[in-house]
Amino acid sequence: MLRADADESRLRIAICAGTACRASGAGQVVQALKGYIIQNRLQGRISLQTTGCHGFCEMGPFILTLPQQAFYTQVRPADVPKIMEAALSGGYAEDLLYRDPHTGKTYYRREEIPFFRHQQRTILGASQKIDPTRIHDYIAQGGYEALEQVLARADPEWVVREVKASGLRGRGGGGFPTGLKWELLARQPGGRGKYVVCNADEGDPGAYMDRSILEGNPHSIIEGMLVGAYATAATEGVVYVRAEYPLAVRHLTVALEQAREHGLLGEDILGSGFGFDIRIVRGAGAFVCGEETALIRSIEGQMGEPRQRPPYPVQKGIDGRPTVINNVETWANIPVILRGGAEEFAKIGTKNNSGTKIFSLVGKIRNTGLVEVPMGSTIRQIVYDIGGGPVGKARIKAVQTGGPSGGCIPASLFDLPIDYDSLSQAGSIMGSGGMIVMDENTCMVDVAKYFMNFLKDESCGKCFTCRKGTQRMHELLDDISKGKATPQHLSLLEELAAVVKDTTMCGLGQTASNPVLSTLRYFHKEYQRHVVDKRCDAFVCADLVGAPCQAACPLDTEAWRYVALIEKGRYEEAYQVVRQANPFPSICARVCDRKCEQRCQLGAGEEQAVAIRALKRFLTDRVRPAAYKPPRAAPAGGHAAKVAVVGAGPAGLAAAHYLSLLGHRVTIFEAETEPGGMLISCIPPYRLPRSIVRQEIDSLVDDDNITLRCGAVLGADVTIDGLLADGFGAIFLAMGANRSWTLDLPGEELGGVYSSMEFLKAFNLRGEELAGGHVAVIGGGNSAVDAARVAIRQENVQSVSLLYRRTDQEMPAYAEEVEAALQEGIQLETLVSPVRIRYIEAARKEGIRVETMVQPVRIYSQQGRLVGIECIRNRLGEVDASGRRSPVPIPGSEFSLSLNTLIVAIGERPDSDGLASMGLELDRGGRLPVDARTFATNRQGVFAGGDLVTGPNTVADAIAAGKKAATVMDRYLRGQGLIQEPQIHLPKLFLEPAEVGEEEREHAQRAEPATLPVESRKKNFAEVEMALSAEQARAEARRCLRCDLGFTERDEPGPGRPAVEGASA
Amino acid sequence: MTRAAAASTSLDAPPQVDVDRQQILRILTKHRQGRGTLVAVLQDIQARYGYLPEQALRAVADETGRPLVDVYGLATFYRCFTLQPRGKHLISACLGTACHVRGAPRIVKEFQHQLGIQAGETTADRQFTLETVNCLGACALGPVVVIDGHYFSKVRKSRVRQLLEEALTGFDKADAAQAERTFPIDVSCPRCNHSLMDEDFPIDGRPSIRCTVSFDRLHGWLRLSSLYGSSSISAEHEIPPQTVVSFFCPHCHAQLVGRSVCAACEAPMVPMLVRGGGTVQVCSRRGCPSRDLEVS
Repeated sequence: MLRADADESRLRIAICAGTACRASGAGQVVQALKGYIIQNRLQGRISLQTTGCHGFCEMGPFILTLPQQAFYTQVRPADVPKIMEAALSGGYAEDLLYRDPHTGKTYYRREEIPFFRHQQRTILGASQKIDPTRIHDYIAQGGYEALEQVLARADPEWVVREVKASGLRGRGGGGFPTGLKWELLARQPGGRGKYVVCNADEGDPGAYMDRSILEGNPHSIIEGMLVGAYATAATEGVVYVRAEYPLAVRHLTVALEQAREHGLLGEDILGSGFGFDIRIVRGAGAFVCGEETALIRSIEGQMGEPRQRPPYPVQKGIDGRPTVINNVETWANIPVILRGGAEEFAKIGTKNNSGTKIFSLVGKIRNTGLVEVPMGSTIRQIVYDIGGGPVGKARIKAVQTGGPSGGCIPASLFDLPIDYDSLSQAGSIMGSGGMIVMDENTCMVDVAKYFMNFLKDESCGKCFTCRKGTQRMHELLDDISKGKATPQHLSLLEELAAVVKDTTMCGLGQTASNPVLSTLRYFHKEYQRHVVDKRCDAFVCADLVGAPCQAACPLDTEAWRYVALIEKGRYEEAYQVVRQANPFPSICARVCDRKCEQRCQLGAGEEQAVAIRALKRFLTDRVRPAAYKPPRAAPAGGHAAKVAVVGAGPAGLAAAHYLSLLGHRVTIFEAETEPGGMLISCIPPYRLPRSIVRQEIDSLVDDDNITLRCGAVLGADVTIDGLLADGFGAIFLAMGANRSWTLDLPGEELGGVYSSMEFLKAFNLRGEELAGGHVAVIGGGNSAVDAARVAIRQENVQSVSLLYRRTDQEMPAYAEEVEAALQEGIQLETLVSPVRIRYIEAARKEGIRVETMVQPVRIYSQQGRLVGIECIRNRLGEVDASGRRSPVPIPGSEFSLSLNTLIVAIGERPDSDGLASMGLELDRGGRLPVDARTFATNRQGVFAGGDLVTGPNTVADAIAAGKKAATVMDRYLRGQGLIQEPQIHLPKLFLEPAEVGEEEREHAQRAEPATLPVESRKKNFAEVEMALSAEQARAEARRCLRCDLGFTERDEPGPGRPAVEGASA
Repeated sequence: MTRAAAASTSLDAPPQVDVDRQQILRILTKHRQGRGTLVAVLQDIQARYGYLPEQALRAVADETGRPLVDVYGLATFYRCFTLQPRGKHLISACLGTACHVRGAPRIVKEFQHQLGIQAGETTADRQFTLETVNCLGACALGPVVVIDGHYFSKVRKSRVRQLLEEALTGFDKADAAQAERTFPIDVSCPRCNHSLMDEDFPIDGRPSIRCTVSFDRLHGWLRLSSLYGSSSISAEHEIPPQTVVSFFCPHCHAQLVGRSVCAACEAPMVPMLVRGGGTVQVCSRRGCPSRDLEVS
């Protein structure tokens, strides 16, 4: 018998030394371990094992100490003494154990970690117990027992029957039953010899499980091939391995030598009379060699072009001899089948899809690595249970399987069981097991273009339709990604994809259309956005995006430009850039939601985004508004048209301003006593001082073309028909969304219960303080945090709690605002209640108690007044349609809170009931739908924008709606077509980049504006955030990566371009 | 001077190396004996010269009797072959799908920008060649870049310039922590078990390892540093670089040789026993840094 019993009692240290871990520094850790062992004379007490890949490649290098099973991740050489001391004492080095970055939970044993717990690691599990360069490790784990068993039975047909009974299908992608393939080979006459081949030319970009098996457990491949050769009477074996895998070649070479030394290869293997040997052929880099006839030619030393079948390789393969080709993972499964029996193997997975399958789970996912699951597991299980879901807040939208021959499967199909047949029905293929996760920041047009670029390069050129078709498809996709496409491009692309599929000879061509067809099928809207609107919402297609900060801004503000001007100290010009795009620069400098910063390329890396809003604040505090004089157009036809704007919020005011500049006379009708809308009624003065709002609004309204009528309510004082009859040529409706949603619990009408809108308006407009005693705010959005922070500043308030039904990770409020609120003394309870919160950080700072994962179920009253509420706690349930895990109430977890004031801030809707009677069609949420490009409602001459159309939204979006609607209405009034060709705004103006040294770049930190100390902001409404100093602002501006230069700089190399050494000195 | 200003173009043809026909013959003979094919021959030639020189392709065609067009066909069909000489430092930027969705194109662009060349080109000073590859199989760590055999994971745009500078200095030298990772070992002869430590002749502040060596008909003593990780030596006769040296025990005079060969240069490895348990092996080729330590 080959097997020797391994000494299991000894302390074992296993360290992964696969390629990924080596790239993360495993080599240095191994050296540190050896140093520790030698210096402490531990040679006899510890066995150190450098193993193959454990699969959790993201967290490498790892050390696993046994028998404790302590699992240390991202180990550095300096951690070694601590880990070894813990291992020697039988304990754990707690602070170095794996800690879930999301939940913060520390895991002691590896098998408890979610990434491992949800897997069934038959193949991968073996690798982590074996040093791939020691055959005895493999033998100790039961290696070569399958071969011994097969040789002892001396019945090749039995082997074929077993493999057939196991139901094993080819793991390379096609899914052809392995046993059947072997049977065909076994029947071939073997006079001139037969071949078995291991295809390790893992060409699918994004898949690396074959590499991992070859590196980590090469003997399992050798044993599999030996069994296969015995079953089919093959005489020679070939492993065709990629040249890009040097470590795999090295380990396989060592393994083959050791196998020969042990009489496991060569003549008369283990005295059975059976002879077989294996040689390695290194591939030279050609994707088409994954096709078996091409692979055979490549092994023969020719160009890897496929040929027509039949004859099939099993009839005429290498040098004309019968040949069977199986993939690495298929071969690795053979010893598993024979050791455990075909029947056991067939029990794993589903009918027709037995066994486990390894996937390389990579891309936009938290836990990347190799995962092994039974066939028939769902994509959702792999992506969420094992992969841990998305990395940041971006939602996962698809997985790509099968490499360039596969397709993209949208998130809506994540419950699909993974097997050969379901995937191909969904328009993809299993392929070798690459699973690339894509999120909102992945552009599907770009993905299709990427694969087509790959395929056009890798097409061998033999079939015209493949050679030319992939090229043309790439050109079409390139046009789409550059905004040069027409709708005809899409139909042509679809037609061409079908032709290539039908008319090519080999697998490469026949599947080449899959990436295009699957993305067209599931992500047609994204294509439409590129073709029609010239937008890439994932911000990937550079020629549509330009500078991401500018593209992200709803107002098209050239952020890169004013940031560059600040760096140069040219503040007035910088202010002009801001003001040109935005009539409310001082307001936006305080309350903008900063889409620009979310898209900042600096923030996409490990650094933090440029503080663009703080820079804008610096400008608006410093430069007089008079520095900008907006240009005015002459009215069309010599006389101005009359336009009515209803609602003097940001959308209405912006529309009025731009209409006036275009020469129209505008009357604004406002229901409240002063203009400003949400800016004054909702946003509290500590975030947006009233003087700033008034100043900025006054400067816009102080305009000969604009008349403001306050206290005029649509429906009561004016009507649409009346306005049209009065000679208004066009009407813009922008009344906002200021009716609160209710909880739908009995008692909401009680004294002491307010909607957030009612509560905020009472205070902000009339100075009434409605809150007193113990206050609870239900909700997780910005208005909930605003209400909490206003409440804590009111005279009679003792405490404020914020109750939220999901976790604070999911609160829609700006994190820094919530933090501030907590500082101010507000309590937060999350996973509590029916809404989501914004502004968490600021709230926490202000002492607000935040409780998450709870929701109210009952309101208690005494004598018609609120006295308390009952809440129930939630737990996280299944992932819902929004891609988040939905809160599920936990029975029996109810608890009560005594309250004097309850503020319900679970969202707002437009107060639009009256509009229906004026002939306007509303949707179910009370919103007024308009044409997305023209802002036109169903009534001629009536346009609408802002929160009335979108529901509660940001200030910047409202201003943008007003600004865009003004241009459309101008075209309407001039009798022109409403639709304008969308334009792509790429940076044009060249501004010399700053010379930023390596040292400065490395040490630069994002500038954070100072805030008023917590002590001096409680119980008052002084502005909390302050402006940057000039020094801070210029240093911050120097951090900008200047994405604009890619468009404004000459691209050809020339003197003066930075180079590696000395050029910038 | 900037690298960019002197980037290679198709007009100024890069200097070709001199091809030693004997070398080509040796490669061909090696493969004729085994089952090697023309692809394997070309792989060996490229490993030797860093690219496929025209003279070498002609020599292969002459010697094998295959038409030159066949040889050229192979050389241009497969991605790993190049007909252009490569620079001293080879940068392979992965453009696999996983790296792509994590922003690899931006990294490639930054390398192009910093070097002033396009992917597939070599800088005019022959320092750098920039290549893109379809997949390096380290997909979990994307974007991945391999420079001179060293893997770099999750590469950011801001790190590119630093990587180029480190490549010029050499990654091992740039790694300041290297010195801290060395540790002392005491060794003995695997045959007679006599200690090889020499306290009277310290190297790196530690007793050295004493052996006798012979090469090119010279015979004398050689002392190695006993710090594992250090390459310091002292020898009676100067040993020319790349020379393969035979090691002997100064006590029992047995040759120190095992069955292993160096993974990097295929020279025999020299085994010694580590006091307390384990084996250390060093490569017998002068200048080859390969070493291996087994501690169980």
